[in-house]
Order: sequence, then C-alpha cells, then structure tokens
Amino acid sequence: MSSPSAFRLPPSTFAPSRRQALKSAGAGFGMVALAGILGEQAKAAEKAAVLKPLAQKSPHFPAKAKRLIFVHMNGSMSQHDTFDYKPQLVKDNGKGGPGGGTLTASKFKFSQHGETGSWFSELLPNIAKHADSLTWLRGLYTDTPAHPQAVVQMHTGSANAALTRPSMGAWLLYGLGTENQDLPGYVTINPPPNFGGAVNYGSAFLPAHFQGTRINDQGYLPNLKAQTEADLQRKQLDLLQAMNRDLAATPGAPEAVDGVIESFELAFKMQGKVPELLDISKEPKKILDAYGANDKATASFARQCLMARRLSEAGVRFVEICQPGWDHHNNLHKGLIDRCRSVDRPTGALLADLQQRGLLEDTLVLFGSEFGRLPTQQGVDGRDHNITGYSMFLAGAGVKPGVNYGVTDEYGIKAVEGRMHTNDLHATLLALMGLDHEKLTYNYAGRDFRLTDVKGNVVKEIFA
Amino acid sequence: MPSRPRIIAPAALLLLVSAAAAETPPADPAVAAKVEFFEKKVRPILVDHCHHCHSADTKPAGGLRVDDRNGLFLGGNTGPAVVPGNPEKSLLLKRIGPENAKRRMPLEGKHLTEEQTEIIAKWIKDGAAWPAIRIPASLGKIRPEYEQLRKEHWAWQPLTKPAVPAVNDAAWARDDIDRFLLAKLDAKGLKPVGDADKVTLIRRVTFDLTGLPPTPAEIDAFVKDSSPNAFEQVVDRLLASSAFGERWGRHWLDVARYGESTGPSRNIPYPHAWKYRDYVIDSVNADVPYDRFLREQIAGDLLAKAEGFAKAEGGGQKAENESGWGIFSAFRLPPSAFVDRLLTATGFLALGVKDVNQRFKVRFIMDNVDEQIDTVTRSILGLTVSCARCHDHKFDPVPTTDYYAIAGIFTSTDNAAGVRNLMGGGGLAYYVPDMLVKLSGSAPPADPARLAKLKADFEEAKKAWDAIRGTPAGTKIAANGQPTQRPYRLKFEALQTELNSLTDPAARGQAVHGVRDAKTLADTEVRIRGEAEKLGPIVPRGFLTAFTVPGAANVNPKQSGRLELANWLTSAKNPLTPRVAVNRIWQHLFGTGIVNTVDNFGVTGGAPSHPELLDHLANRFIADDWSVKKLVRAVVLTHAYQLSAEATPANTAADPGNRLVWRHTPRRLTAEEIRDATLAAAGTLDVKRPGGSPAQSLRMVEMLDNGPEARTINEKADASMNRSVYLPLLRGVVPHSLEVFDPAEQTLVTGNRDATTVPSQALYLLNGSFVRRQSLILAERLLKPNASDSERITEAYRRALGRAPTKTEVARARAFLDEYESESRQFYPDNLAPAPRRVKTAEPAKVEEPPFDPDQVDQTGTPIHEDLIRAKDARTAAWLAFTQALFGSAEFRYVR
Repeated sequence: MSSPSAFRLPPSTFAPSRRQALKSAGAGFGMVALAGILGEQAKAAEKAAVLKPLAQKSPHFPAKAKRLIFVHMNGSMSQHDTFDYKPQLVKDNGKGGPGGGTLTASKFKFSQHGETGSWFSELLPNIAKHADSLTWLRGLYTDTPAHPQAVVQMHTGSANAALTRPSMGAWLLYGLGTENQDLPGYVTINPPPNFGGAVNYGSAFLPAHFQGTRINDQGYLPNLKAQTEADLQRKQLDLLQAMNRDLAATPGAPEAVDGVIESFELAFKMQGKVPELLDISKEPKKILDAYGANDKATASFARQCLMARRLSEAGVRFVEICQPGWDHHNNLHKGLIDRCRSVDRPTGALLADLQQRGLLEDTLVLFGSEFGRLPTQQGVDGRDHNITGYSMFLAGAGVKPGVNYGVTDEYGIKAVEGRMHTNDLHATLLALMGLDHEKLTYNYAGRDFRLTDVKGNVVKEIFA
Repeated sequence: MPSRPRIIAPAALLLLVSAAAAETPPADPAVAAKVEFFEKKVRPILVDHCHHCHSADTKPAGGLRVDDRNGLFLGGNTGPAVVPGNPEKSLLLKRIGPENAKRRMPLEGKHLTEEQTEIIAKWIKDGAAWPAIRIPASLGKIRPEYEQLRKEHWAWQPLTKPAVPAVNDAAWARDDIDRFLLAKLDAKGLKPVGDADKVTLIRRVTFDLTGLPPTPAEIDAFVKDSSPNAFEQVVDRLLASSAFGERWGRHWLDVARYGESTGPSRNIPYPHAWKYRDYVIDSVNADVPYDRFLREQIAGDLLAKAEGFAKAEGGGQKAENESGWGIFSAFRLPPSAFVDRLLTATGFLALGVKDVNQRFKVRFIMDNVDEQIDTVTRSILGLTVSCARCHDHKFDPVPTTDYYAIAGIFTSTDNAAGVRNLMGGGGLAYYVPDMLVKLSGSAPPADPARLAKLKADFEEAKKAWDAIRGTPAGTKIAANGQPTQRPYRLKFEALQTELNSLTDPAARGQAVHGVRDAKTLADTEVRIRGEAEKLGPIVPRGFLTAFTVPGAANVNPKQSGRLELANWLTSAKNPLTPRVAVNRIWQHLFGTGIVNTVDNFGVTGGAPSHPELLDHLANRFIADDWSVKKLVRAVVLTHAYQLSAEATPANTAADPGNRLVWRHTPRRLTAEEIRDATLAAAGTLDVKRPGGSPAQSLRMVEMLDNGPEARTINEKADASMNRSVYLPLLRGVVPHSLEVFDPAEQTLVTGNRDATTVPSQALYLLNGSFVRRQSLILAERLLKPNASDSERITEAYRRALGRAPTKTEVARARAFLDEYESESRQFYPDNLAPAPRRVKTAEPAKVEEPPFDPDQVDQTGTPIHEDLIRAKDARTAAWLAFTQALFGSAEFRYVR
C-alpha cells in the first residue's frame, strides 16, 4: 500500500477515461494503444508524458498557490491554551459548561498581537509575530472525535477509516503534476505511524506514483545511498543501459523499456540531488539559529521546517511535516509548554523564511490539528476532544491576511458562524491551488470519486 | 423461480416496516404531541447534560449514546437505558437519580433537578416517543430505467451457446478458442504474427503458470525435445507442480484483498490469516472446482454441516470411510481436519479491513458487512453492489433493497475475526478470543494450579486497574513523569497476556479468523442514506434482482443464508460468476481481459472484445466441472497463446492495444515474480513452504508502522528465502522487496495490478540490500567452478534471463568486467573485504521519555539501518556489478 520510497514515474498521467483505455491495453503497455488512438503526432506528446509522468498540468483556473505545506499538529493541540481567546470562558471559569463538564480557562497568559490585535497565549511568541499575515479558519468541524478516523479524514476526506481513499497530496499530484521532475512531487516528513499510517499519504486507487514519499525527520529515504563509488556505479549503469537499449531496439520489445531507461537516469540524478536537498547543515548559521536547529528543544521540528522550505523551494508540490504528542487528556500544562516550545520557533522561522524569499507569494501554508479540544476540564489537568468547533490557520499564496473566518460560541465549543467541515476545507484548499473539487475526479470501480466525495463548499471569503 | 419476489412494492414495504421506524406516523396528533414534548422538553436536557460524554460528536462513554433512539433503547454496557413505558426498568432514570451518589450522572457538571428528572420519567412512561425517521419516497420503488437495464445489459443475460465460427485459415487454429479469435482478425483483415521461439515460449509459460523462471536444464530439455507434444508435456509438468497453486492462489488472494492485519485506524494483526492463504494455495493445487472453492469461502461452516462432515444440529457426522468425500480424498484428511479446512475457507469473509476504533458497534457491524458485500460482489460477480448502500445504484439495476437483502445475510453472520470495536484502548483491548473460529483438537491443558493462581492475580490486577483508571489520582503525574496509573495498567496487561497464552485456543494455534452464523438470525432494515442508526423498513434476506438464477433456493430461515447465497452465486445458471472467472483467467494469460474491467461487469464496465468467446469459455469451464487447471491448459495450448511478441506496423496501426490478439503482449513481472526470479537465479530460492507466517507470533495488539513488531516483521521478510507468496503481508507493512513493484493494494479488491515504471524501482535495483546481496551470491557462485569467463557470462545470462548471450554480449560483458575490476582495485588494496555490515543511516537525535499514552507516538529520531553489501575483492566486485546489472535490466523484468 505504502512505499516510503515511492516517487514514481507512471506509465501515464492521463485523464481517467484515457487511463481506462490504457488499462485495456494491458498492464502498463498503454502507449501502443494510444499511438493508434491519437495518431502519430500525439504519440510523441504522450510518450513524453510517459517519461515525465508527473509533468505539470494546467490547473482548472488560474491560482496563486503553486505549492502547499501542511504543518500538522498531530494529536490535537488545545486551541484554548494557544490561539483561541474567549473572555466569557475566563469569566465563567469553574462553572458548569453547556453539555456538561466544568469550564476551565487557560492558565496561560493571552495578549494581543500585531495591527489586527490577534490573541495568542504566551506559548506561541514566535508564531504570534506573524499575527497580521495569518488567515484563521475558526469555525471548523469534523465527523469523528477519535484520532484514527479524524486524522484519516483530514488527509483523505473520508471518516470511514475502513474505506481506503486517496490522500489529499495524491489528489494534488493527480490534478497538477509537479514542478520539478527530478524530485518526488509529494513528500511527507515524520508522518504518524498509527492513525491510518500509510493511508494518510497513500494513493489508494489512484496510480501508485501519486502517493507521498515518506521521509523521517533525519531526512532518510531508503535506497538513496549508492553502495559503490560513483564512477563505478556509472560504469555499471552504462552496461545496464546498453542492455536496455539493445532490448528497446528488438521488434516487439515492450515499449515501456524507454521508461525503464529514463527511470535509471532519473534515479542516478536523484542520488545526488535529494540528499543534498535534505542536508540542512549547509544552511547559514543565521538561518539554523533562527529555526532553532541547534537547540535541543527545537532541533527536530526545526529540521522538518527547514527541509520543508528547501523542498518547496525546489518545486515539490506538497510537503507535510508533523509534530505528534498533542493529545493532552492529562498533563496538559507541562505537555503544552514542551510541545509549544518545540514547534513555535521553527514554525515562526519557517513563515519568516518563506516570506523573505518571496516564497509565500506562491506557497500556501496550512497549520493545525485533526480537531480541537474542549474548554472544559478532563481529569486533573487535561482537555478532551472537540470536533464541533476548532481552528486552523492558512498563510501565504491566495489568502487574505489578518482575517478571521468563522467563529465558535462564547466558550469555544461549537462553530456557530462560518462553519467549515473537513470537506469544505479540502474544497477550499483545492480551489486555492487552482482545482475545482467537483471536477477533480477519478473513475474507479465504475464510479467517479472525489477528495470531497459528494460534499464540499469553497469558502471564497478568505481568497485574496 | 426467482429466489424471491422481484422487488417489493411500496405498499408491501410499509407492512414490513419495523417497529423502530414506524412508531410515529406524523398524521396522528397524539403521537405528534408526544414527539413535540420530547423535542421541547426532553432533548434539551439530554443535550445539555449528557451529550458531553454520550453522543456521536463526543464519545459513547460506557457504550451508551443518548443522541440516538436505538442508542438509548439498546443501551450501553450495563443494559437498556430506556425501556419505553417503564420508568422503573429504565437505567437512565436510576443513573441520574441520587441512588448511587458516587456514580451519579452526569459525573462532571451539574446534576439534574427534580423537575428535569420528572420530565424524563414522564417521557419514558408515555412511551419514549422519538421523531420518526423520514423514509425517502423513492425507497422500494423501482427506478424506471432498471427494467430496461435488466433486459439490455449484456453481462447478466443468460450464457449463450455461440457457434464456432468458420475461419479463412483452418490449419492455423488448434482449438475453438483460436477459431473465435481468428474469425475476428479475419473480419478486420489482420493476420496473426508468427510463433514465439521455444526459448521465449518456455519462459513465458513457466512464469505465467508458476511465477518462476524455467531452469537452464528445463529450457534445454524443451529445446531438444522435438516431439509434437513437447509443449504439452511442459504445460502438464507446470500444472502439476505446487508452484502453480502458489502463483494462481496469489491471483485469488489479490481479489480476496488478503492481508494479515486489520489495516487503517488501529492496525491489529490477524495472526492466523496465513491458514487461509495456505487453504487457497492448496485448493488451487488440488484443482478444487471453482464453484466449490467459492462455496467453501462463503459458507464452509454451513457446508460442513450440510454435507455431514461436521456434526449438524440433530444430525450425525460422516465417518471417515463413508462415501461422499469425492474429489477431496486428494487431501487425505481425517474428518476433523476436513472440517477445519472448510472453516478456514471462511477467512475470505473475515480478513478484510476493519476500523476497530469505530465508536459505535452498529456502525462497526454495518461497515464490516459493507466490506464483505463489496468483496464478495466485486470478486465473484464483477459488480459494485456496495454502491447501493446509501441509495439505489446509479448505473446498475441494484436497488438499495437488494443491498439490504444481502446485508441481512451478513448481519446474521458473526464476523469472527477476533476483534471488537472500541474507542481508544491499548494492549489486548480490541481482542476477543471468543470472536474467532475454533478449530478441532485441543492442546494439553495448562497446569491447573498455575492457572488458578494466574486467574486470581489477573482478577486482582484488573480490579486495581479498573479502580484507578482515569480517576484524578490515576492520571496525576508521578515522580517519574508518568501517570500514577501506568504501572497498574502494565501489570494488568502483562497478566492478561500470560493468562491468554494458557487459556486461549487461538494463542495455542487452534483458531482461525472466519465466520459463523450469529445467535440472532434475522432480516435487517434498510439504513436510510446508509447511516447505520437510521433504520428503515426490513427487507427479507435474499439476493440480487438484476438477473434471475433459475432454480436457486431461498434463504433458509434457520440459518444466516450464506449457504443459499453461495449456491446462488455458483449456480451454473448464474450468468456473471462463470464469465467473471474465465475473464480473470484470460487476463492472467493474455494481459488483458476479454472484458478489460475485470472487477466491473456493470454498465460502466468495458464491453467484451469477444463476447462469443467469453461465453464459449464460460460454457466450457462449467462443463469441465469448473476446473481452473483444465481451462488454463486449454488456453495455453492454443495457437494464439504461443504467438511471438513481435509487433508489425500494419497490425499495430489497426489494433494498437492487441485486443484482437494478433501477437502476444509482453508483460512486466509482478513484484513477487521479480523477487522470486532473483532468488532463483542466485540459487537461493527455497521452494518449500515455510509453514505459517512471521505474523503468527504477533499478539492481537495494535501495531505501529515503525514499532518493534513491524520492524521484526520487516527483518524476517528481508531474511526470507521462501517464495514471495509466503512473505508476511500485514497491511501498511509491505515487505521491502515487494513494495516498489506495485504489489496488490491489500485493502481493495485488486483484479488488475498496476505495472508502473518509476525511479524508486531503479533506486531499489541499484542500491537495495536485497538485490545487492543476491547479486553477490550469484557472483560468488559463478566464480567458484573452474570455468572460463565466457562460460561464466553464459551461465549468468541463462540463470537471469533464460537465454544464452550473443557473442557481442559476451564481448561487452568481458570488457566491462576487466575495466571494472581494474578500476576497483584501488578500493581493495590488499584484497581484504569489508564484510556485509549494517550501518546506521540516521542517528537518533534524542531520547524521549517513553510515551505514557500509546497514541502519543513520537517516532522522531528512530534509527534506521541499511545493510551495506560489498564484495570481498575487486574481481568479485566486478562480477557483482555485472550480475546486478542483469537483475536491473528491462529484459529481466519483462516476459515476452
């Protein structure tokens, strides 16, 4: 289902109906079929598509965002202690909450930031510096208050974890291809090993080359390191390619042999390029310090943020980075201090770095969790799950900065205005990337599937 | 006779409406008033005071939800919360009252006032009215287009008996299959290309039938054998080899979405799944008739009783020497083992993906039923019946009522995979030993004294854990930074595991994941819009109405109905089952099915390229007692199968996809074949069945993608020299040596695998430890005997590519070896080898304190190891580079 090393060249990246036609020509040998269907001229173009299967495709409509970075706070960060300030909750601290439980205000200090006067707690001083450039979605809700289903829904649109659907990144690659053909188009760094695991970056019934490439937080990718000296490997590759060319020249040879030849050249290039790209050590000290790459508390997430920037800069369509450990049913106080410390500085630096380099012009950043937490107390020092109202923020390409879309009730329990279901979030993200979620379909088992299934509204109010 | 009334008229449906949905006909003003009372007075109380812990938006604490009528009526773990008309018996009232102060609900927040309690009591006394579910007017009405679709779509019309067509070149055809193909080519004015040479042909047929390459000796023998039946003899040898079942069994495992764990959500291993895998392989090797094979998988447990092999209620058991064992005498099994085999077969229905973290049992059940319906209908019928779960099928004549007619069969069946649903929970919390199918025999009993002590210790630990679990004292952080309750939980889990190992038949290897009839056998309700809680009218159990299967029996009301479903599916009069089956066989031999959408024969599927041939094959298949081997044999002995892969420009232009079969379409080997062929060439392949699976030692405890269990499984898979079909296949933990070559997606019915060409494959072939290691072994093997380099090169070609090299190729290889060796010398100054070693490619950045919540998994800094494979000297290094290039070549991975 999930290969961690799966940046793949497909036999084709055609529209669904075309792909069906290809399948009819036999596993992977569709090019021959197409040659006849399309005629000789088209054959050349299609052959190019076969060799560069993740080639860029035009979006459905023009859009500023070319790339997406999802900063995933896995486990559900408490919005009540970080960026959702509710005066009424402070006022009614200790009283019974609607629907049960005891209302419990945050023990962390909140203050206003930037010209917009956005509220942040003292836990996120660095993210708060970007107060005026963030676009808040504050009326989010989802279907299932359990991590496995919610994480899977966040990534695939489907709350039914037993129904395997393609991940959002796979849909993006399917719809847009990717900018840099020498790199994987979809990279997920340090993804959760549970809560659906590989389903969250899988391609399900989409062709396998659309699935995410998994990298650990050290930047490790399997099979990327040559086991012999480069000159010797090149010599070996030359022999191998000579054999392949011989085969390609025989009558009736599988047409995909050209693809095999290409795949080896690309792989050889990747061996050099990808490790270089993932090696953050050559970044200037100033940058490393800004992200907190040399500070034990922030090093891991700083590495992820830096890799995300470098990959995006190099043209990777979708990068997801992940900080787990937010599921504070207990130990909320200390847990939040630790977790926020590990992500605040790197995330703040990532936003600043992207802005400085002009990348925010065409890169969209999404930050947040699979759902939120309740304003009521759980146990001695904890908060339980809340799917009826929570927040995420967007920043960068195509969104209005300094805007709050949606709002929860006075205690932050339930979204009351600007309500956005996960399907609406997906529809909006696709639209920001230039894709119409109703048109981005793939025919499988006789039916056209979508990331948003049969739902999803685009929230145009946040568009710049 | 159709198996049941064609479709239920709306009026008839209403009569069948369950009490659940019918309680409040909106027209009755008295009932309307009660519902209004509920909405105005009762629901607000439930929302304000109970939803926090007992609703779909939060959780069903104690298994109870109050936002759903059935949730209240069925109640939670302690019984029905509301008994309509009977406040005294309603637990809800007891728990909100002051009786049990410590557990008084709500546990958090304000208690209910007396007035509120009285409102609830009154509501219950008055019958606990709840607004009726609106049933869509369309339900039970036949969509107007269905009647036409039933009549017109080709796939579900009865099999025809097509006449064998005349052809221009009668001498060319060896079989009627050839005549059907040639007639189409004649009509287009196309001529088939010439025949494949013998070396190509034996490689093709050996891979196609066994998934393995022919050995150099086998190639030589065939090339030398000029007798007219030389090829036939090869085919018969291959059909008789156990490798046939290992390849063709794998084809079935693809459509059976075989996997050794529950998959997404929380990944719980299925430690006994391998028994089903072996059942499939053995059945294919024994050539169990395909109809029988299907019946066993759908209703093996019921078959065993019906046929007298197992003790039926009120019936006897067939003795070993009694007649009736028929073709199964081939298995030479005693009756008990015979029954075990049939029980194991039902793993087909149980081994699907399961969302064990599903909070609501009713959803868990209905999701599993849906998974079963989807698998059964797509694999056997090529129909997407599960589309009708929420609404009538948009394209095929499958009304929602048909879906729930079949669903009733599966809701009357225990999905005995050994797991239950639970929201959160660690350790063995998801494991239910009773929800496995027990096999015959028993292990020697455990020492009673030890058992008694263990039981007592376990009970004590459980009590202590239950007492502290989730309480303020328990969740308080102790000095070691972890919750105070953690040691309690660990002790409880450890004792539970130990106890299980002594008492649980499954832990002792005497159980399988399978199905059995449930205690309650009943028709089930249509679920409005597919929502498990929204009960509509009850539909009698039955089958599809899209087509008629003459003579099929109705569901036996005393059983689940699986036996009748199995018989309906495998009736010779069922138009789809034989067509779908022969089409799959055709695809495996020609690359493309006669119907190219092998899992979809519905209206949106492809049209058959040779409809007459399809029916001809289906008729033949049935006439030959559904023998897969006989059909495979007939097909590979046709002239068409033995054509060369050469593509002529004229034919390519006329039929680029080769749908008319004017040549043989080359195919890429599957992931399993590439791995097996590598091992075979290196001489390391162990063709014996390993016995079991590495997964069998796993407990039914959640497994993380990168946890120690997954690592162990990966390591065992990496070290295995067995055929790939025997590698562990836990969902989400694909063996490294398979993952880049498009193995079957284990969560979905996969009748047609992708065959992509991507750089990750090239990286794997260039740098992967598996390929490097096998290349080194082959290199060392070639260097051992006293031979010339030319002879060694020839041997390498024959082992890897199944042919001798040309002179040019030998010269090129020799030049390569010389140059590579001389350039390598600098790295082997004293010819002392760095032996294969394990290197850490990523250093752990930090050591985190162990997570106290199993869900708070942080895998940052997890070290990853890669094996570095180096030759011992420059000469071996050169030969390693050469053999590895052979494995990497396109020729190695394609069969023509």
